[in-house]
Amino acid sequence: MAVKAAIEARQLRKIYKTTRGVFRREKVEQVALRGVDLAIEPGELFGLLGPNGAGKTTMTKIFTTLLLPTSGTATVLGLDVVRDQWRMRRRIGFVFGGERGLYWRLSGLDNLRYFADLYRVPPEVTRKRIPELLERLGLAGRERDRVELYSRGMKQRLHLARGLLNDPEVLFLDEPTIGLDPVGARELRVIVRELADAGKTIFLTTHYMFEADAICDRIAVIKGGEIVAKGTPSSIKKVVQDQGVVEFEVVGMPAERVASLRALTGVRSVAVADHELAQVVTIHCSRPADVMTQLGLVLDGMSLEKVSSREPTLEDAYVQLIGESS
Amino acid sequence: MSLARASWRAFVVSIRLRVISPWSYLNWLVFPLLFAAVGLYVLNTRGASSSHLVYGVLGGGLIGYWSVAYIDAGNGIQDERWSGTLEQIFATPTPLWAILLGKVCGGMLFGLLSFLPTAAFAYLGFHAVLPALDPWKFVISLGVLTLAFFCIAITLAPLFALWRSAFQMLNGFELGVYILCGFMFPVAVLAPWAQGVAGVLAPTWAVRALYASTVAGGPHDFALWWLVAGALSVAYLVCAYFLYGLVEREARVSGELALA
Repeated sequence: MAVKAAIEARQLRKIYKTTRGVFRREKVEQVALRGVDLAIEPGELFGLLGPNGAGKTTMTKIFTTLLLPTSGTATVLGLDVVRDQWRMRRRIGFVFGGERGLYWRLSGLDNLRYFADLYRVPPEVTRKRIPELLERLGLAGRERDRVELYSRGMKQRLHLARGLLNDPEVLFLDEPTIGLDPVGARELRVIVRELADAGKTIFLTTHYMFEADAICDRIAVIKGGEIVAKGTPSSIKKVVQDQGVVEFEVVGMPAERVASLRALTGVRSVAVADHELAQVVTIHCSRPADVMTQLGLVLDGMSLEKVSSREPTLEDAYVQLIGESS
Repeated sequence: MSLARASWRAFVVSIRLRVISPWSYLNWLVFPLLFAAVGLYVLNTRGASSSHLVYGVLGGGLIGYWSVAYIDAGNGIQDERWSGTLEQIFATPTPLWAILLGKVCGGMLFGLLSFLPTAAFAYLGFHAVLPALDPWKFVISLGVLTLAFFCIAITLAPLFALWRSAFQMLNGFELGVYILCGFMFPVAVLAPWAQGVAGVLAPTWAVRALYASTVAGGPHDFALWWLVAGALSVAYLVCAYFLYGLVEREARVSGELALA
C-alpha cells in the first residue's frame, strides 16, 4: 500500500489580482503558481529552490493556510488547506526567515507564552515544552531579555522555537537561514536535520544550493511558478553530469573575448562575475580539458589567475535549470 | 477553555505593549487633556451654566476613551502587519475574533483611564464638578457606552486586517464620532441630517444618557436611551459575525496580511 503523502499539491495555481495606475486604474493579474504537482512523504526533508518571485513563498503560504489557491488542490496530512484550516493549524508549524514576525518589545519568553496559547497548547504542556525548546535552541538564560536585544541568529532560533511550540507533525521553513552568519546558519541547519531525523516532515525553501545539497532528502526547482526539476540532490546534479566547469580570474574581460569563448566546441555557457577589481569567468562545458588547452589561444595576451577545473555542483545544475538570465 | 485562555493572553499582551509604548501615553493621557483644556476654556465663560461645563469635564475623557478603544484596535493591527506578526497570529488555530477580543478589551481598559486625568484637570484647574451626579445612572450609562465602543471596535477591527489602507479610510470615522455623538456639545445643535446619522450610532444614545446622569432637570428617558444604544450595539455584533467570516476568507485570497 502506497504511503499517503504528508504534503501534496495537484495542479495548484495562484493568481494575485491587483491594480496599477493612479487615475486610470487597470486591473492586473499576476500568476504566481502555474499548476504545481508535488507529493512529499512523511518524515521527508524536502527543499524547494528557486529565484526571487518564483513562487516559493506563495506555495508555503498556501500550505500554511495563509493563502487560498485560485485552483487545484493542496493537502497537508490529508487535510484540505481550503476547508480544514482549523484542524490543520493545530498540526503544522511554520517559520518565515528574517527578523520580522516577533514582538520585539516583549521578552522571548512572553513571545513563546503568547503563541503557545494561540496554538491552544495545554498549560501543563507549555510549562514543560518552553524550557525544553529554549535549552535545545540555545536560548536558555536569555529568555527574559527583550527580543530587540537578541542577535539575528537568536531571533531566528526564537522563530524556530515558536514554530515548534505545538510539536507540529509538519514544519514549513521559508528561507530560515537568510541573513544569518555562517556559524548561525550551520547551527540552524544541524537543528533542522535533527528535526527531520526525529520524524518530522519538513518543507524548506532556500536560495542556498549547498544548504539544500547538505540536508535535503529531495528537492524541487521552481521557476516562474512551475516545477522544472524534482528529485534527490544527486539526481538533480545529473542534469549537468556530462559537463565540467572551468573557472579563472582575469582583470578586464572584453565582450568579444567572451563571445570567442562561447564559440569554442563543447562550451554550453559562459558567465562573468565581478570579484573586487577582477572578473571571475565560469565556463560550463562538456570537455573541460579541451577548453583549458584552448584558453591560451582565445585569451592570448591576457593574464589568467586561479585557473581550475571542477566537477559540477548542485548550483551548476540549478543555474542550468533556471537559466543564466535569472 | 483554550479559546478563553488565548483571548486572555491577547489581552495581557496588549496591556504589556501599551504599558511600554510612548504612543499609548499620548493617546490616553496627553491628547484627552488637551481636548479637555480646550473644552473647559471655551465653556468656562462668565455666566456659563454648570450643565454646559460638564461637556468640558467629561468631553476630553470621552474622546480619549473612544480614540484608544477604536483607533488603537485598528492601529494595533497595522502595527502587527508592519512587524510581520499579523500573519503569524492569523495562521494559528485561534480565530481572529478571539484574538481581537483580547486586544480590544485591552484598549478599552486603557481608554477608561482617560477619564482620570481629564476629571482631575477639570476639578483642580477649573473647580468644575458634575453638578447633580446620579452615581447609579452614571455607572450604567458608562457601561452602555463601553458596550457601544466595544461593539464598534470589534466590528471594524477586522477591516484593518483585510485592507492595508483601512487605517487611512477609517481614521476619519474616529473624528466624525467626536462630533456626531455629542462628546463635547449636545447633538441637538447639529444640522437635522447630521442628527439622523448620529441616531444610528450607539454612542450617541449612551453619551446622551451619560451627560443626563450628571445634571438636574429633564425630561430624561434613560431606559429608552440605554435600550437604543444596546440594540444598536447588538446589531453591530450581528454585522461583525458575518464580517469576520468574510475577512477570514478574503485575507487568504488577497494576501494583504503581509506588508508586501
